[in-house]
Amino acid sequence: MRIVIAEDDALLREGLTLLLTARGFDLVAAVPTPEEFLAAVAEHRPDIAVVDVRMPPTFTDEGIRAAVQARRLHPPLAVLVLSAYVEQSFAADLLADGVGGIGYLLKERVGRLQEFLDALHRVVAGGTAIDPEVVAQLFTHQRAIDVMRPLSPREREVLALMAEGLGNTAIAERLFVTDKAVHKHIRNIFLKFDLHPTDQTDRRVAAVLRYLDSRTPSRS
Amino acid sequence: MERLAGGLGTSLLALFTSAGLTVVAVASLAGVGLLLLPFMLSLVRLVAERERGRLNRWQYQVISPYADTRPTGWAARLRAAASDPATWRDLRWLASHASLGLLLGLAGVVLPIIAVRDASFPLWWWLLPIEEAGASLGFPVRTWPAVLAVSLMGISWAAILIGLGPAMARLQALPGVRLLRPHPSADLSQRIAQLTVTRASALQAHAAELRRIERALHDGTQNRIIGVAVLLGVARDAVVRDPASAEAALERAQSAAEQALGELRTVIRGILPPVLEERGLAGALTSLAADCLVPCEVTVTELGHLPVAVETTAYFIAAEALTNTARHSRATTAAVSVNRVGDLLSVHVRDDGIGGAAVSAGSGLTGIRRRVEAHDGTITLTSPIGGPTVLEVELPCAS
Repeated sequence: MRIVIAEDDALLREGLTLLLTARGFDLVAAVPTPEEFLAAVAEHRPDIAVVDVRMPPTFTDEGIRAAVQARRLHPPLAVLVLSAYVEQSFAADLLADGVGGIGYLLKERVGRLQEFLDALHRVVAGGTAIDPEVVAQLFTHQRAIDVMRPLSPREREVLALMAEGLGNTAIAERLFVTDKAVHKHIRNIFLKFDLHPTDQTDRRVAAVLRYLDSRTPSRS
Repeated sequence: MERLAGGLGTSLLALFTSAGLTVVAVASLAGVGLLLLPFMLSLVRLVAERERGRLNRWQYQVISPYADTRPTGWAARLRAAASDPATWRDLRWLASHASLGLLLGLAGVVLPIIAVRDASFPLWWWLLPIEEAGASLGFPVRTWPAVLAVSLMGISWAAILIGLGPAMARLQALPGVRLLRPHPSADLSQRIAQLTVTRASALQAHAAELRRIERALHDGTQNRIIGVAVLLGVARDAVVRDPASAEAALERAQSAAEQALGELRTVIRGILPPVLEERGLAGALTSLAADCLVPCEVTVTELGHLPVAVETTAYFIAAEALTNTARHSRATTAAVSVNRVGDLLSVHVRDDGIGGAAVSAGSGLTGIRRRVEAHDGTITLTSPIGGPTVLEVELPCAS
């Protein structure tokens, strides 16, 4: 797996480098600015980019914008965004194209190595990996509650875990139910959200997006 | 008497200014004086400000009615001056102070002299040629009984001075106290406008502070701690796979944790310096001066109890000013003095550097001004090119 890292903090860049190379990943570049990141992606065409949200010059959302741009210029680049704090609109920005291969994790999750590596693999495989913290905060938002209304409590739980990026088996394990039961819940969610199988979008991503989007009313 | 004499000083200034103003006014009729008019009005304002300063020293609390900003350009300045009621009140004060104030001031200075002269007259009158001997009032004195009478007169002059002096001083100050204060109605609306501005800048200063703290916590401490978490993850992984390399990762994690603590301390110091809490303002300033790269002398008089916010502001002002001194002034010595007069805390920071500091230059001085305005205080910066630089801040500190 070829990886490019964009992270302005030297310590964290070094930590990520140590961690990924120790595990035998092919780390092709680790850079501190959005410009260098875009250049590195163009040059190396990695499988996945790991990007910090706050980067120079203004330290607001440069990382997100660079990631969105990189995905547009070089599809199907998978992107795993690392952030020091939760901001759902960032996740919605990234998922807006309805295509998978997106992750949004709090930085400290990197320390939980196995979970982090699972997330990397999932995102590269075209899935999603949304931080449980982000997902948890979504459920407290009024518009999210409105969108979730048709869902049963169990279906909401399943959707939350889906948003984190877990597969059916993992969800079943988490909820102590059978694979079959999870499958049924997911079918019901798609039904209630009126999501039909198409070629263009991943329905799992679309369902997640539906409720990430519910938090940001102005987004179309 | 000291007050009357001080009043004499400003009344003489008022007299000269009135004379100048009259000349300019007459010249204005002919047209040429018009050019000098804004300058003369500035001069009037300057003299009035001086009197305000004098009255404030005598605890009359005369607030300046002027806005801080002045329009530029001849016509705009003239228009602004003409429409400002404070200008006309200043002019009325100028006329009364140049006449009544001057007379009272002269009396205040001359009375003690003639009191001493007449009272001691018996001691030296015989030294004078007989035809020149006389009382202060001018009538001739030839005989001992008359000489003693003159001496009695001297004593009564002194009695008059002692009895009426304070009243005279009050009378002299009265026009200033009444006219130099903002007009009662203007006072209130102006005060509201001023408070609105200072409140806005207080909020702005507050928001800027929060942003600074957030940024410091995010970029420093939080990133370091995330680094610790990540490095611990690396170390745990290494323990299983390659125990020898775990030590290096743990070493890194530990030093990152120490860095995080160091940065956290810096942030805390920036919020409320612990030294201020432990050692009070005087102690905090002394340790600040000890850390300053420029040799710095600190003088703090008895301050009594001060609100924490005022103490903190005073400390930050001194810290910011000394940082500026060390960075830009090329000074060889600096001095910080803090005094309290009534409910006013004054902080003076001076250095003997190259000068040329300006509040508008976007330096730390802007931050100082915001903090000061948030406390409804005043700030005066004198920093001519070539130095010295003197920063004077006054903070209300009613507790």
